[in-house]
Amino acid sequence: MTKALVVTGAGGVGKTTISAALAVTAARSGLRTLVLTVDPAQRLSTALGIAIGNEPEPHPEEQGLWVAMLDATASWQEVVRRHTDPEVAERLIDNEFFAAATSHFPASQSFAAAEQAATYIDARAWDLVVIDTPPAAGGIDFFTAPARMADLVGGRLLRWLTGARLPGRRFLFDRTAKPMLRLADQVLGSNLLERIAEFFMDLRTTYDGVAKRARQIERHMRRATTIVVTTSDPAPMREAVRFFHALPEVASPPAAVFFNRSLPESWIDARAPRGTDAALAANLERWGVESQKQRSARRELGERHRVAIVTVPWQRRPPTDLDSLAELIETAESVPQLW
Amino acid sequence: MSSRLVLISGKGGVGKSAVSAAYALAARRRGERVLAIDMLDGSGLGAHLGEHDLTFKPRPIGEGLEASTIDRAEALLEYLRVQVGIPAIATIGPAARAFDALASTAPAIREVVTIGKVLWEVKRGVWDLVVADAAPTGQIGSYLRAARTVRELVASGRILDQVEWMEQILTDAERTNLVLVTLPEELPTVETAETIEWIRNEGVVGAITVVANRVLPPLEADVPESDGPVAEAAALHQSLWEEQQHWLSQLPVDTSLPYLFGTHTPAEVAERLADFLEAEG
Repeated sequence: MTKALVVTGAGGVGKTTISAALAVTAARSGLRTLVLTVDPAQRLSTALGIAIGNEPEPHPEEQGLWVAMLDATASWQEVVRRHTDPEVAERLIDNEFFAAATSHFPASQSFAAAEQAATYIDARAWDLVVIDTPPAAGGIDFFTAPARMADLVGGRLLRWLTGARLPGRRFLFDRTAKPMLRLADQVLGSNLLERIAEFFMDLRTTYDGVAKRARQIERHMRRATTIVVTTSDPAPMREAVRFFHALPEVASPPAAVFFNRSLPESWIDARAPRGTDAALAANLERWGVESQKQRSARRELGERHRVAIVTVPWQRRPPTDLDSLAELIETAESVPQLW
Repeated sequence: MSSRLVLISGKGGVGKSAVSAAYALAARRRGERVLAIDMLDGSGLGAHLGEHDLTFKPRPIGEGLEASTIDRAEALLEYLRVQVGIPAIATIGPAARAFDALASTAPAIREVVTIGKVLWEVKRGVWDLVVADAAPTGQIGSYLRAARTVRELVASGRILDQVEWMEQILTDAERTNLVLVTLPEELPTVETAETIEWIRNEGVVGAITVVANRVLPPLEADVPESDGPVAEAAALHQSLWEEQQHWLSQLPVDTSLPYLFGTHTPAEVAERLADFLEAEG
């Protein structure tokens, strides 16, 4: 049985780093672990020892650790190839709207990530799959994307243009019956709407496959363990609170909140000894104020949502190798059992 | 009156809404008439201006400053009515919703409507400055390029007349400034550099300003070799400062805004950052 751990949180809080650190820790505890990363910083890719590709590769130096990166464009092409005839698939991929419609659809990267993750969970080749979520919408998207994807290829627009029945490829929508269509033609020029509709009719051939896959993905994601990564800054905190409201509808409630870049609580009341350089004393004071802000944020979240709060210390330098990644989790306080 | 436009973008999490609010507040303090627009409904611009519920219709927030948000359906109706000159649109509501379905799936149409609303406020000429809290850098390209994309996709139709003046305002360096907010960290720095290069190649916007946010001050002392909080805090600060300086040196930074220690409300953050923008001129 492959377990899944989904790492959510606002952009910029260190989600990818925490995902990698948890994966290294799990691998070192003897689990065959795959980490699926999104857009890692150069130094983190280097730490993970990779020219990371779309396919899981075993880490050259760390036994039990596999790494793969998400490439949204390639994954969309795979989705299309998997779920429709080869001829239609190639026509879709070459279509002038394909890149725009896929990259433009807000959930595309999330859907691609969720589908890729589900594929690896199904493969049963790993004990644990750690999934870093794309930053768009802070990860909620990741859980809602499959259904929305099915809705997109099911074609709200197409149904509106052509009615519920799927017509033949060469269709003619009835402009006289729909004043909006005549209006759209005036504004957009006469054939744009028709070209878009043709594109969506091709895309709709993927509907059965995508809808079925979406349901499978949702089942996987409901069983996954989720954690939230945040800092004590207001924007990521608001995002973290949003997860507590939104996640129970689509996934399991967060098992823990990881406060990244935590400062020692001992700095809060620390006073510089008499005779300390004024600049150094002022420096301790401002970081003490910052530490106090962090403690309030942790307490507030922990009390309000009755969730395990993990503090990950603020490192002087970002992790540059596997040992420093593992150290992040070793030095973290109150890490619960996640796998 | 010839209005100026400041579009604010940046990677998610860099504080672009706070900086947008600060730009608006700083301009107001100079006595300008300012409109602040939240281009992505709900990004937090309202909180930074102390007015949580922004509406499509601009509402005054104190003297000289109004704020609004973009509701896409309303923006579309206004676009068709005011710019394309189709008066009866309001009477066919369901059709307008369907049109919104089209606009949200067809490339560039949604972006043209959204940025079109912002540019329309600039074109009207009733503000000295329009500040738009815009899409993050990952998506800003499709907004800046929307007018051109429409020209490439659409052979005829009234939308073509509209995109022409939009491009003129956007590419006018005297009027339009794209502010890229960044943090002195690896990922925002790399993304900002890529965005600058892309914009230079595409030539889609007049001028670019790079604003680094949350910049630490120098320690102004040597890190002591002793143990204890004084030395620990100094060592952390020095390391983070050096790391920040490395990333700052990778970008043509025009303005640095300070790291604000401790707890502040969003409105306080915006006022403090406005102080610094004012001091920088």
